[in-house]
Amino acid sequence: MSALPHSGEARTPAAVARVEQARLARPNGWWGMAIFVATEATLFGTIIGTYFYLRFNNLHWPPPGVPEPKVTLPLVLTGLLVLSSIPVQLAVNAASRGLLTRARVALLLALVVQAGYLGMQIHLFVHDVHEFPPSGSAYSSIYFTMLGAHHLHVFVGVLLSAWILLRTATGLTGYRMNGLRATAFYWHFVNVLALCVLGTQLSPLA
Amino acid sequence: MRSAARYLDPDFLQWFGLFGAALTWVVQLVVGFGITVARCGAANEVLGVDVKPWEITLMGVGIALALLAEAAALSVLWETRNVDYGGPAPEGRRHFFALAASIGNLLFLVIIVLSGTGAIVHEPCMQS
Amino acid sequence: MATTITEPAAQRVERLERIWVEPRGLWGWLTTTDHKRIGLLYFFTTLAFFGAGGIEALLIRTQLAQPNERVLSPETYDQLMTMHGVTMIFLFVIPISTGAFGNYLIPLMIGARDMAFPRMNALSYWLFLASGLFMYASVFMHAAPNAGWFDYVPLALKQYNPGRNIDFYALGLIFNGVSTTAAAINFIVTIFKLRAPGMSMNRMPLFCFAMLAVSLSLIFALPSLTIDLVYLELQRTLGFHFFDVAHGGDPLLWQHLFWLFGHPEVYIIILPAFGIATSIIPTFSKRKMIAFPLVALAELLVAFIGFGVWAHHMFATGLPTITLVFFAAASMMVVIPSTIQVFAWTVTVALGRPEFKTPLLFIGGFIVFFVLGGLSGIMFAAIPFDQATTDTYFVVAHFHFIIFGAAVFPILGGMYYWFPKVTGRLYNEGLAKLSFWLTFVGTAVTFFPMHILGLLGMTRRVYTYPSSLGWSAYNLSETIGAFILTAGLLLIFGNLAYSRFRGAPAGRDPFFGGTLEWATSSPPPPYNFPVIPTVRSAYPNWDAEDREADVRRLERGELVLDEGHETPASTVVDAVPDEVLEMPAESPWPLAVAVCTGLLFIMLLTQHYAVAGVFAGLALLCVAGWHAKEPVET
Repeated sequence: MSALPHSGEARTPAAVARVEQARLARPNGWWGMAIFVATEATLFGTIIGTYFYLRFNNLHWPPPGVPEPKVTLPLVLTGLLVLSSIPVQLAVNAASRGLLTRARVALLLALVVQAGYLGMQIHLFVHDVHEFPPSGSAYSSIYFTMLGAHHLHVFVGVLLSAWILLRTATGLTGYRMNGLRATAFYWHFVNVLALCVLGTQLSPLA
Repeated sequence: MRSAARYLDPDFLQWFGLFGAALTWVVQLVVGFGITVARCGAANEVLGVDVKPWEITLMGVGIALALLAEAAALSVLWETRNVDYGGPAPEGRRHFFALAASIGNLLFLVIIVLSGTGAIVHEPCMQS
Repeated sequence: MATTITEPAAQRVERLERIWVEPRGLWGWLTTTDHKRIGLLYFFTTLAFFGAGGIEALLIRTQLAQPNERVLSPETYDQLMTMHGVTMIFLFVIPISTGAFGNYLIPLMIGARDMAFPRMNALSYWLFLASGLFMYASVFMHAAPNAGWFDYVPLALKQYNPGRNIDFYALGLIFNGVSTTAAAINFIVTIFKLRAPGMSMNRMPLFCFAMLAVSLSLIFALPSLTIDLVYLELQRTLGFHFFDVAHGGDPLLWQHLFWLFGHPEVYIIILPAFGIATSIIPTFSKRKMIAFPLVALAELLVAFIGFGVWAHHMFATGLPTITLVFFAAASMMVVIPSTIQVFAWTVTVALGRPEFKTPLLFIGGFIVFFVLGGLSGIMFAAIPFDQATTDTYFVVAHFHFIIFGAAVFPILGGMYYWFPKVTGRLYNEGLAKLSFWLTFVGTAVTFFPMHILGLLGMTRRVYTYPSSLGWSAYNLSETIGAFILTAGLLLIFGNLAYSRFRGAPAGRDPFFGGTLEWATSSPPPPYNFPVIPTVRSAYPNWDAEDREADVRRLERGELVLDEGHETPASTVVDAVPDEVLEMPAESPWPLAVAVCTGLLFIMLLTQHYAVAGVFAGLALLCVAGWHAKEPVET
């Protein structure tokens, strides 16, 4: 029992790799993020539930005067965002083997894609708000609430990735490794969520 | 054969026994409730929902999965029948969970049957 | 452990003391990350809100004591009865069970040195305090929420409620929800990862099973309330359309989302009481809980099934029968786990050698009110009966029997039970027994007649009633009962306050409890345990051999972890030791984040959105500051 690793004392990539090799269970930080994700997933469950509840209560959906949802651009953007999960996971795998530079490059690549996605989506959002404002109907109210909530979550993800990149500029420690694992889990959640939101957004076309 | 053995792994059986019927009930509730909202909402003119086939299917699949979960729980219970529920892991812990699961699954089975029956026999959209 | 201690062991203990002790004085309390101190902060704050809610109740009962009273205007009455509900639920019963009892006891019961996220624990408290102050600011502005604790639309919409009252409600509860979510995450990770070696899930205390059920329920229920409140604020302030039919919305959407939260909420209220009951009963019956696995299951099952019954609060709204049947079915079955528990509790007492000290008396009162309240509850599962009694005093009777009789009684009993552990002193048993009987009689006299009033047709939330309906005598006796109840409560707190300073020394384990909090000194040292206990049963304090082995391990330096602010983490299911964690010491950041968040919510209330954004940014900067120094570096 005295041979238990002290993960907080790992302050080089090699030491972190040893701790990661030896651990039996996921770190507390990962579990904290997982449960936070559970609550956010439930939040989106209620939002998507609201969408369909309102849809079932309305004969015309979207209502007259509101354009049908666009397909191509949202589809392409969402596809790119979902693909960014790959470099994010590669970053985690590299860091857990002590390969810090490789991990940071992968995370940065993902961040560029994610930030680009966010910028484009905000542009589309602002355009749509002028075309069919939320104060016009229940459709537009739930449409903008759902998309706005998702974009906010992408924004938080961008902040998390940026923070990890900043902190790992001065090296890798057990604490930062746990932060990276938690951030990666958050991104995978946001990306799966993007698919659910896109599906809901495009459902009137079915 | 290896993939079949994975499903007979005692820990898999323990977790399926514990959560299988519970999650099945959740699906029956969410989808079953959603079907009734769709059928009785303004959009039914366009959607044309037929309640009975949906609810019968949900209840049938629900009963089947709940019974499978119960079987899983009982098999773990049988395997660990000589172990005390406060005993050391993994056997003690498996016995503990299997005991709990074997009772819980019966409860979910009853809820699935009651809900499904109610949704099937009543005239859609009639109010109480 | 009062035997002589060897030199190496004494040195280790002294090192632990030096490492874990926090500064005394105000700064120590403002920057604390010690779960025991945070538990005490929650305890006294929630009691202050209990007092506020109690005064609100007494004002309501005074107004209703006689027909056609005008002690309070209708507007004031609406605010009082709304704030009574909101205060008692969100600012008293949930935070005292989770923040006070949960925080103080969980690490002790699982053999850990702190919660998994000590700084986030402090943040939960400061956010809770700020949200309570935020909501009570509305009272001082005579703009308190006034549409009932469940705030139905369309009454809550701008056209019927143009003032700030409902904005205080919506923003205040979102604020409160952030605090509670953070606390729930902390509890779950702590219970999953920080259990002592050998405490596999089948050996976890039943109190921890209850708190796990509470925390998981909060995680899955709060988002529904949060989104409902967000929709409400978006509709009120920015003209969105969720709840008005004219633009495609539906007022029932509010109710569905509210009760999707609200029903699990009531199980969240009662589960800690189950946990306290299942702690007190084995101790005073001097035997293990009968059917331990089934009691653990029942605690989790009642929370789980509770997510599927929400529309039983909507049986009278005109929903189609095929929709309602799902909820009637689940509502009937949800009583089964509670029945299992009642049998387990009573059989455990019957088969043991019960000692009827005050904590056990309160549990006795709890069982009486829980059974009666449960019986009235199950009656509502029958749709026709529910449609006749919805919104009458029959409902008010049911939930006060459950919330007061069944949720608060174990809290009061738990205060007596753990008072020796927290203060190191014994309370006065004779006075305590008297306080129990006064409280019991007061509760019965206040809330029993409400069943009859409900069946006679008295509706909820009315600020007065005519004298010709035959309701007057019942109302008057309820008011008298409320004052008897108040006397009982004052006697409880008076007894505890007096005994805090003049009580006899309690020692480590005055009641011979079976769980680990009784294995350490009273009060516990800052580091909880000088050596991390190893556990081989669900009642480790009754395993004398293991506790003696702890002493020997202290001497050998095994699992003492005195090289820093350390506690071990283990695997989730079987508690196999996995790593040693370095925990953070005191920090000013949680308080800073809470202050920024409070300012953010004030700006949202006053609709200064740009300034709100600035405060949000400041809060994020504080979070960055929080994570800038790793625990190992402090």
